[in-house]
Amino acid sequence: MDLKERVCGELQKEVPKGASFTKFNTQHQQKWEDPSSTSDYSTRIEPPFQAFNQTSQTQSLLLCNNQIKVPMQDGSVNDLLQASKIQDWDPSAMLNNLSFLGQKIHQLQDLVYLIIGRKGQVLGRPDELLVQQQQLVTADLTSIIVQLISTAGSLLPSVKQTLSAATTSLGQCGEFGGVVFPSSAQGLNDGVQPQNAGGSKVSELPNSVDITSNNGNEQSNHIIEEHELKDEEDAEEGENLLPGTYEILQLEKEEILAPHTHFCTICGKGFKRDANLRMHMRGHGDEYKTPGALAKPTKESSSEPTIIKRYSCPYAGCKRNKDHKKFQPLKTILCVKNHYKRTHCDKSYICSRCNTKKFSVIADLKTHEKHCGKDKWLCSCGTTFSRKDKLFGHITLFQGHTPAIPSDEIKAAPAGTSDGATNKVGSVNFNLSYVSSESEVQSSSMDIKGGIDDAVGYFSPLSFDTCNFGGFHEFPRPPFDDSESSFAFLLSRSCNYSQKSGEE
Amino acid sequence: MLSFQSSKNVLSLAEDLLFRIYELLAAESDRKSFRLVCREFRRIDSLTRRHLRVIRIEFLPILLRKYPRLQSLDLSACPRIDDGVVSLLLTRVGRGSNSPSLGHWAWGLKSLVLSRATGLRFSGLEMLTRACPCLESVDVSYCCGFGDREAAALSSAVGLRELNMDKCLQLTDVGLAKIAVGCSKLEKLSLKWCMEITDLGIDLLCKKCVDLKYLDVSYLKVTNESLHSIASLLKLEVLGLMACPLIDDVGLQFIERGCPSLKVIDVSRCEGVSSSGLIYVVRGHRNLLELNAGYCLSELSTALLHQMKNLNHLEVIRIDGARISETSFQVISANCKSLVEIGLSKCVGVTNMGIMRLVSACINLRVLNLTCCHSITDTAISAIAYSCRSLVCLKVESCNMITEKGLCQLGSFCLLLEEIDLTDCCGVNDKGLEYLSRCSELSCLKLGLCTNISNKGLSYIGSNCLKIHELDLYRCTGIGDDGLEALSNGCKKLRKLNLSYCNAVSDRGLAYIGRLEELSDLEMRALHKITGVGLEAVAVGCKKLADLDMKHCEKVGDSGFWALAYYSKNLRQINLSYCGISDMALCMVMGNLSRLQEAKLVHLSNSTVEGVELALRACCARIKKVKLFAPLRFMLSSEILEILHARGCIIRWD
Repeated sequence: MDLKERVCGELQKEVPKGASFTKFNTQHQQKWEDPSSTSDYSTRIEPPFQAFNQTSQTQSLLLCNNQIKVPMQDGSVNDLLQASKIQDWDPSAMLNNLSFLGQKIHQLQDLVYLIIGRKGQVLGRPDELLVQQQQLVTADLTSIIVQLISTAGSLLPSVKQTLSAATTSLGQCGEFGGVVFPSSAQGLNDGVQPQNAGGSKVSELPNSVDITSNNGNEQSNHIIEEHELKDEEDAEEGENLLPGTYEILQLEKEEILAPHTHFCTICGKGFKRDANLRMHMRGHGDEYKTPGALAKPTKESSSEPTIIKRYSCPYAGCKRNKDHKKFQPLKTILCVKNHYKRTHCDKSYICSRCNTKKFSVIADLKTHEKHCGKDKWLCSCGTTFSRKDKLFGHITLFQGHTPAIPSDEIKAAPAGTSDGATNKVGSVNFNLSYVSSESEVQSSSMDIKGGIDDAVGYFSPLSFDTCNFGGFHEFPRPPFDDSESSFAFLLSRSCNYSQKSGEE
Repeated sequence: MLSFQSSKNVLSLAEDLLFRIYELLAAESDRKSFRLVCREFRRIDSLTRRHLRVIRIEFLPILLRKYPRLQSLDLSACPRIDDGVVSLLLTRVGRGSNSPSLGHWAWGLKSLVLSRATGLRFSGLEMLTRACPCLESVDVSYCCGFGDREAAALSSAVGLRELNMDKCLQLTDVGLAKIAVGCSKLEKLSLKWCMEITDLGIDLLCKKCVDLKYLDVSYLKVTNESLHSIASLLKLEVLGLMACPLIDDVGLQFIERGCPSLKVIDVSRCEGVSSSGLIYVVRGHRNLLELNAGYCLSELSTALLHQMKNLNHLEVIRIDGARISETSFQVISANCKSLVEIGLSKCVGVTNMGIMRLVSACINLRVLNLTCCHSITDTAISAIAYSCRSLVCLKVESCNMITEKGLCQLGSFCLLLEEIDLTDCCGVNDKGLEYLSRCSELSCLKLGLCTNISNKGLSYIGSNCLKIHELDLYRCTGIGDDGLEALSNGCKKLRKLNLSYCNAVSDRGLAYIGRLEELSDLEMRALHKITGVGLEAVAVGCKKLADLDMKHCEKVGDSGFWALAYYSKNLRQINLSYCGISDMALCMVMGNLSRLQEAKLVHLSNSTVEGVELALRACCARIKKVKLFAPLRFMLSSEILEILHARGCIIRWD
């Protein structure tokens, strides 16, 4: 038992470190977005920067999502686990594990020292290379922490029977990474219920928990949650519950903005969902691995008749506030959270690609970033749309608005005709038109007329009889439009986000 | 000056009287004679002239200076027009000119035909629309490069009422949206073959251009959704839905409830449309004037016929390819008394009895199409001739049982007949042509594959049918030089002539053809007797020759081609396949004929690769379409192919 205590103690010692590390991680990410928001920097070397930005972001995202997966990939741990699976408990294996743990802890220490050293440097001068290195270090660190936890768990002699089951389930989690979660998110409506039922319990929980103790696991939750949250909020619009037939709960602002609602009673770690907390609890001991402990608490509560619970927004004057004349209640806590953030909080998340769109819910930002730059459907008023039908709906609605023709049509043309005739026939004109379209992009008002004026000015004296301009335009256009439109079509089918960029 | 003082001289007429006289001259040739009288008359002409169709772009600046009050300009015959020409016309001929009478040619322009102007792009169109503030009608059909940017340029013509964008292949919904928003006064729009247009574009169009009276979306891949949008157009009178494969009866149901002003609908060749769809249309629109349902009905069902009883104003019906019974004719003739045109091409079940029942009441029929109705005989033709005295057009291709008796009736009663198609009617002989020649209004006569006619029959036509402008003698092997002599003596207005495979025709015959000054279209394939002498006679005589097909005229030598290159300055299309033209002559023909747009140059036995290459170089600036022997693809230099490609020339390899 002293062993167990020691492990627990070590774990408790480790966890805050991990938390501080992730705190650093978020800080670093925010800082990361900063340089792109300074316009002069981004315009000067935009293309490489953007590309880099993209990759590194996805990288970090991947790392966060698959934290559990990392130890599984590690050969040594895999061997270790397999060994423990096959063999019964014996002291030599225990010793092996312990020495492994020791090694890892030392590595961890070194790494943290490294980070502390780097951090100072980075604050001084934000170098891209350093940032990348840091992310690598961060990833290493994360994996080590997870390894530690899993290895520590395998040390316990009592675990040995259930160990194999646990590791496989852990393996599943890890292997499917993000995939497992969405499938479990199917039952999220159910998963939300216990939270609702325990609304009072939630409010009793201390709010003093470190807000910044974010964790990769939680980030992946973010992504899963966003979809059905929006759906729920939408679906709830048409609901007509008679006043008085349901119980109205109102959470305070602080509670709404708290990142977690479920906390581990042992280590204090916060979770957004009860299911995730239960998964986490398995690491704390055998008693949390029984089917009873892992089962959803909903099933018990569903037997007794439940009162319908609806939520009120604490913001006075809001339509979602219970004092409003036309009060429309919110269905779940998650609805409350998103509603409050979207409607009554600052939009602090800025898209690093377009630097214009702001969001208060990070999931919204993530959704937007997936499509940012792909909005090729452009209105003359400057509004962009990801889908053609949305643009046409907009044009139908607003008098005088017309679709703007993408200016890169000319740029794309020479790419499609890669033969030498381009050079022969209209090299000069091509350059000119390129310039004019460039200026259009920069002005970003997408006023085509202006571009044409330029072009006319350039061409009119020299185009007669040389016909260069005409010649150039005789080239068949690349199937740019086609592929794009079909792509957009596919996109619109595959993900049913309502792109709000234009309508807001 | 004396002539001006003389009171009886026509020149002393006041200017306004001259204007009035000029206004009454309808025919272009008369106006030409008028302006050739004297300078004063020419001044009247130039001040009064509203419409101009330009044949040669070289003269465009001069012509625009000469005619300052133009309202309608047709540039479809000079496809070489491009952005540079436009900018030059607008800067030098227009505002930049110091003489006041020269400027502002574009200001009053209301109609502009730019059909096939493939060189014109958005910058040119932008300049044109800006310079022509009164523009009401634009035709940009068959401008293959016309896309969204061009549409955007055109959309600044806010007063536009009519727009034809047939076969603007690059046009997408975005361009259409530009037009729809910019030109909201549009009344007539044709979008045939604009394959990129989808339901979204049509929907927006119908919401923005509510004044549309004419809409043609033929050949588009639009669905019933579009019909749903179109049904909301309150003023729509004409709707063309030809060969739209994705629309069906459900879509026509929308039309039943919408388009209250609908007069004309064309659903021909729509695969998804059946008679139940037409029932919807007919039920909703009792005042329909024209129903075109060719090749979409398998049979004229009784239910549809029942609904058609209500169409008392119907003037035109085409149900080509459908099965029709004799009783159906009875119903049609009993109810649709105002029928003017009926199309029964390739209908199954058209009998003498059926036709007799039809014409018994429909005495106003002017156009009757009975192509491939094999079972009709002289009895039916006689009934038609006796009842429909105002018949103008009769098509009886492949009706083998028609003989001189039927033609005799036609020649006796249908004196207004202008067009008759007797292709492949082997019952037609010289006697029949003699009877037919009594129809002195005849302008179009098709006698292809009528092997029983000879020079004698043709001489009747030549002496009586003086208004003929189109004559088809394809494979009339009985026709020889004497027939052509008679023809050239009488039919001076002949514009289109087909002599292919009339083996008996020799150089002497072509010399007679050379007397036809109006001839613009001559097809003379496989005339094995003719040589360069004959071709020379044609080239010298037929000044207006624009389209010449002389495939397989192997004996024609270089002298003929030299003459062609020298005289036939108006030639636009030429087919020289299987001709023995030499390299030199080929270069001369291709290089010298400045209006040449299309050439077919397959299997030239006396030409080399170098010769073809040189010829292509000589014409690469203006040629738009060329057909070449496939192996040449790898023998011609890549440079010339690239140049042709860059100039928008389409090469067909055979």
